[in-house]
Amino acid sequence: MRSRVVVAVIGTALLAGCSMLPAMPDPVPTSVVPPVGTAGSQLSPDGFDAVQRMAVRIRNVGCGTLSTGSGFAVDAHTLVTNKHVVADSAELEIATYDGRDIRATAASTALLADLAIVVTAEPLPYAPQLADADPVQGDPVTVVGYPLGGELTVTDGTIVGAEEDPLQATLGTVLITDAQVEPGSSGSAVLDADGRVVGVVYAKSQSGYSYVVPVSTLKAMLNDTSAFSPAPTCTG
Amino acid sequence: MLSVLLVASLTAGGLTVAYLLRTTAAWQDTAAQWEHVARVHGAEVAEAQADLAATREQLATAQTRITQLADEKAQLGDESAATQQLADYQARISRAAGDVATALATCIDGQQNLIGYLQNPQLYDAAALASFRADVDQYCGAARDANAALQAELTR
Repeated sequence: MRSRVVVAVIGTALLAGCSMLPAMPDPVPTSVVPPVGTAGSQLSPDGFDAVQRMAVRIRNVGCGTLSTGSGFAVDAHTLVTNKHVVADSAELEIATYDGRDIRATAASTALLADLAIVVTAEPLPYAPQLADADPVQGDPVTVVGYPLGGELTVTDGTIVGAEEDPLQATLGTVLITDAQVEPGSSGSAVLDADGRVVGVVYAKSQSGYSYVVPVSTLKAMLNDTSAFSPAPTCTG
Repeated sequence: MLSVLLVASLTAGGLTVAYLLRTTAAWQDTAAQWEHVARVHGAEVAEAQADLAATREQLATAQTRITQLADEKAQLGDESAATQQLADYQARISRAAGDVATALATCIDGQQNLIGYLQNPQLYDAAALASFRADVDQYCGAARDANAALQAELTR
């Protein structure tokens, strides 16, 4: 009887010991590179940032006058700029960030703000989102446009305040930013840190600050078709 | 009985040692293979990083050039539009100046003829002479209008 117990104990110990032995390793794969997924679909087709792809350059060919301004897309065939950028034109010539020409089929100006919309025949490269709310003092902003009609330029700054429109070109409060702009920057998009539109540049103060139509005004205008009328043109 | 147990234990121990030796060798071999895989992939990653850096640089250069070319095209477009406006302006001025010259020549011719007629007015019908004078006034009025149009174009 005793020997059977001993055998049983030893047998159990051997089995327990076997279970504690290390297993043989698995075979080593020849490659551990994961399959390439579809991530990165947010990349632009040519590597340009969305900030640059949304911007357009506007040439206003008037009757004996010539001026340039900036604008940005709000959908595939609509861009926003300033009223004074498109007013009194015989022809509007639009160019994208990469130099492609876009034909303008119609232009309308807002009755109560220095804003205008232009409808295009060809699709615009990229349309950003409009922010839900206006920026506040201290918020960082980015301005993208064509200062002095030159190269596409991206400029950083901050919102430094807000006041009643000193130029009386826009009803209500306008924003002020220290982002540097020049003539030709009118109509430039003002973007927040997430790349959403928070305003439209429309003037420069004597102290070097820039006046911005806030996105709330822009959205109110865009949502009210009666707020726009055909842009004045010139003949002869 | 004890001898049986001793033999069994020695056998089991021998088998265990043999298994452990084999397992150890297998793990060593596996570790070496993993190290080889890691080194191969490490080299590939280093090469890919170098390629990526070079590609990024090329992309940045290409983007800068595209932006410059877009600007150059825009400037040429501005110059072309300005030149076209200047050409249109000069064409309007030339046309207006031509109108002035033509109207003025007609006016002068009429006035010279009228002066000749008035030197011997008794030779002509008074009504016809008055009608011709009115015609000359009309010619010279047209010249004045053409000149006013020219001046207006010049001040645009």
